[in-house]
Amino acid sequence: MATDTAVDVVMPQMGVSVSEGTVTRWLKQEGEQIEADEPLLEISTDKVDTEVPSPASGTVTQILVQEGETVAVGTKLGQIGGAAAEAPAQEAEPEAPAEPEAAAEEAPAAEAPAAPAEPAPAPAAAPSSDNGKAFVSPVVARIASEHGVDPSQIAGTGKGGRVTKKDILAFVESGGQAAAAPATAPAPEAPAAPKPAAAPVAAGTPLPGETIEPVTAMRRGVAEHMRRSLDTSAHVTSAIEVDFSKVVAAREALKKEFQANYGVNPTYLVFAARATVLTLADYPYVNGELRGDSIITRNFVNLGIAVETQEGKGLIVPVIRNAETLNMLGIAKAIADLADRARNKKLVPDDVQGGTFTITNPGGYGTFHGTPVINQPQSAILGTYALVKRPWVVSDEQGNDAIAIRPMMNITLTYDHRLVDGAYAGRFLRDLRERLESWEGDGD
Amino acid sequence: MAIAREAEPVGSLTEVREAGLDRDDLLGVYRNMLITRGVEERGHILYRQGKIPGSFYTGRGNEAAAVGVATAMTSEDVGTPLHRDMGVHIVRGVEPWRIFANYMGRVDGPARGRDGNVHMADERLGMIAMVSHLPAMLPVATGCALAFRIREEARVAVGWFGEGASARGDAHESMTFAGTRKLPIVFVCDNNQWAYSTPTHFEYATEHVADRAEAYGFEGVVVDGTDVLAVYREARRAIDKARAGGGPTLLECLTLRMEGHAVHDDAFYVPKPMFERWAESDPIESFRTWLRANAELTDSEEDEIAAGVKKLLTSSLERAEESPQPDPATLTDGVYATPEDLDTPHHK
Amino acid sequence: MAELTYLQAISDGLRTEMRRDKRVFLIGEDVGVYGGAFKVSAGFQEEFGPWRVIDAPLAETAIVGGATGAAMMGLRPVAEMQFADFISCAWDHLVTIAAKQRWRAGTPVPIVVRLPSGGGFSGGPFHSQNPESSFAHIPGLKCVCPATPEDAKGLLISAIEDPNPVLYFEHKHLYRRIKAEVPEERYTTPLGKARTHREGSDISVITWGAMVYTAEEAAQQLDADGVSVEVIDLRTVMPWDKPAVLESARKTSKVLVLHEDTRTGGFGAEIAATIAEEAFEDLDAPVKRIAAPDTPVPFSPALEKAFIPQVEDVVAGLRELAEY
Repeated sequence: MATDTAVDVVMPQMGVSVSEGTVTRWLKQEGEQIEADEPLLEISTDKVDTEVPSPASGTVTQILVQEGETVAVGTKLGQIGGAAAEAPAQEAEPEAPAEPEAAAEEAPAAEAPAAPAEPAPAPAAAPSSDNGKAFVSPVVARIASEHGVDPSQIAGTGKGGRVTKKDILAFVESGGQAAAAPATAPAPEAPAAPKPAAAPVAAGTPLPGETIEPVTAMRRGVAEHMRRSLDTSAHVTSAIEVDFSKVVAAREALKKEFQANYGVNPTYLVFAARATVLTLADYPYVNGELRGDSIITRNFVNLGIAVETQEGKGLIVPVIRNAETLNMLGIAKAIADLADRARNKKLVPDDVQGGTFTITNPGGYGTFHGTPVINQPQSAILGTYALVKRPWVVSDEQGNDAIAIRPMMNITLTYDHRLVDGAYAGRFLRDLRERLESWEGDGD
Repeated sequence: MAIAREAEPVGSLTEVREAGLDRDDLLGVYRNMLITRGVEERGHILYRQGKIPGSFYTGRGNEAAAVGVATAMTSEDVGTPLHRDMGVHIVRGVEPWRIFANYMGRVDGPARGRDGNVHMADERLGMIAMVSHLPAMLPVATGCALAFRIREEARVAVGWFGEGASARGDAHESMTFAGTRKLPIVFVCDNNQWAYSTPTHFEYATEHVADRAEAYGFEGVVVDGTDVLAVYREARRAIDKARAGGGPTLLECLTLRMEGHAVHDDAFYVPKPMFERWAESDPIESFRTWLRANAELTDSEEDEIAAGVKKLLTSSLERAEESPQPDPATLTDGVYATPEDLDTPHHK
Repeated sequence: MAELTYLQAISDGLRTEMRRDKRVFLIGEDVGVYGGAFKVSAGFQEEFGPWRVIDAPLAETAIVGGATGAAMMGLRPVAEMQFADFISCAWDHLVTIAAKQRWRAGTPVPIVVRLPSGGGFSGGPFHSQNPESSFAHIPGLKCVCPATPEDAKGLLISAIEDPNPVLYFEHKHLYRRIKAEVPEERYTTPLGKARTHREGSDISVITWGAMVYTAEEAAQQLDADGVSVEVIDLRTVMPWDKPAVLESARKTSKVLVLHEDTRTGGFGAEIAATIAEEAFEDLDAPVKRIAAPDTPVPFSPALEKAFIPQVEDVVAGLRELAEY
């Protein structure tokens, strides 16, 4: 039923620490009719991009926040039904955001240049309000703003892990090092330099030939998280070459069955993911976390898969929960599902939280090596690269060496040397390689 | 059966002279009564013209009681007149233009727009501004008398109340306290016979309000409140007695309320014959008749007085209308007194 | 300096002013021959005579209304209510006349009404109340609530000097329980200036009257937790020292408002609202109130203990804030 009374459309709260979102596209314009639950606009936050379904049926009577604008959660974006009030004059952003690009052919392999989106808050660190919203007290908000600090990156000693005034003052006084978050990794911003985090140096007037576009919420989030990760972990990358011959054979065998029966594609990523999950069971630190003075290990794997959402404009790491419980088909379906929803902006906040290990797959365009950035607060990230046929020295059963043509993939493990040592990482990669090279089935 | 003394009317000019008023004083009393009624009549017109906000009350019929008592006070005495007692303000010298200004809520009214109608008083003229809780003024008047007693000053406080207000504990507590301490106070009851719409037999069970005085240990006197000279004489006796240390008196003036409780009240509940009787005992007309009979008031004197009053009221009204409206920016000024505020005649 | 009880300090202040200023007189029930129900004015009538220490009839309206009239005539009355609870009988004169006369008619009313208030001794519903918030709400009235003997004297002298109607709430539970050094000479303690009873850095307790001591005991217990509690003694709730409260709130960012009066509409609500309004960005926790529950004051010791905020209640509140 169409509404006669005005119903507000507001910026939704898309995740624990999300405080603002950007309107990326209005799917309906003022004066157009819309049904309840029909997609009305697209928004982008530093957690997810998503569609906002219309809260009511009726006419779009007001659009108050234009495309490209970033507003606080809860801000009225527009109105369905009621009288068409005069919208406040809002300047539209000069450039509408790019259309989300259809995913690359092999969906999950959509390029994801090394990694992380929002670090998944571990349970103990989760801010504790009943409504799931991280509470930042007024004074903490003010100090954060004065010192350009993101409170969500500070270890909270308050009730339910809330960041207290003392916490943030200690953090600021120590130049952003002292209050190492027990749960989330510390978040050293530019040390103690009092500058508003959300207000980067103004671009000013572009020089001839330059164009200016606003930084989206997602881009800002990615930027902050990348910087923070490098400031947190001792990044070291080890690489290994893996002969995918058996995987290729196995994939050929499975492909038809999977596509015919389940409509999913057993991509190489699926094999790599499955082998990784199995190998992680023997290397708990790689799937672990350095949390304050403690080392956290798990009997489960929440596997993050880095996915590009818009061409060069967004990066997101949806998580396959309890990946250790899934067989090949399960992982294939999960990856296909996440990729699909990432493309279509249907991810929900839970989809991107709680990861324990991440795989990034930038090999789709042929790169054979990289040094991804760890998705905090995890301790390692696996990079899979282009599968290429290369001359490879092989030994036959009699021990004679020969040069063969083999489908080879470079795989890297970038790990936090604070927790994971080189030899440990090396053994992990060795086992992973052996698992892939000796692929005989699901491995279960 | 009445307990209070029922005062006789005033007879001859000689008797009046003994009470302290000469012929000029009598004409002054007459003039004050005319001004009192004139101010209220003009006020009523202003009210109907929309120039006076809020509600509007008059004391028509009470002029003799108010003017009579006030004439008996000295300038050192202090009183708490109520809304039927415009005559007290007039006798004590409040200029009519300031009363009109107060009616209209202008800055030159004694209440400076902060309170309306007769909720005003010029402290320098020995009056304390009334509140709507009419009996509440009696303890205040008692306190004034207490101050005079503590300082051993030859001053008297006059506390007014109506027979309606007599029902409240304030009246009882004041009279109890004043009686026990023999304070220099005169309690003046303007008994206009109606507490809004309530008649006297539902207000008190004694014959007179003044009958109660006996119980408080002092004299009660009932006087015809339309007889300005009788009122004057009894008030003068009571005030002199208080000044001499003889303690309080309760003086009940039987008056009239020739209009409703306020101008929005048509007083339908008052029996018509009562209104007719009241019209016959109009205190101003009664006094005018007395003056003509006993003090040789001439036509020309009468005209001169009437013309003078008319001129005074006209010019007063003009002046009042020039008085500015209060500045809203001053609203919060003076909620609390400063030490400088105590620099007044009383506090020095 | 002499060591005086809170009650003796009140007497001392009153006597000092009556000796200094002939306009000052005391009126109340049993204040003369008997020396007052609590003996604050014991010996006064001998010294000052029956017309400056006046035994009034049992007539609060006449006492407060009379004090009002006397004040308008230039005297400086001090009216004693035998118990603060009885001020209800004189509400009209305080609220209708004394509070409004200066603003309305330009007439100042310099009176002091002494109000033995507070519970803790099974006084029951009519001998234990703390009605300060009712009067703090009335523009034109001032409300004084001393906690220490030194303040009891200095604030009483200031109250008598003040050109406004001042309600002087003297806490009965402190009368003889609290003893401290009090200067012998005359001095004034300004109305509207809070006192830092105890410095601290983690949590501020804003309180007044007998609750200052409850707060102090609770604060000592929090010391053991490593939590530093500041106790601000408001001294007067009208006017109240907003700058001092806001300064403390800004320093600690956590505030507990404590009073013995009941909770809803208690003066703590005003303080909490002001902090929320003016120090919002300095808060690290919601402002917490600890006050009596919204019931009449009970008689039975068991019930009264549940009514009046106890040290352990304050400790629990402080811990809650500390952990927030």
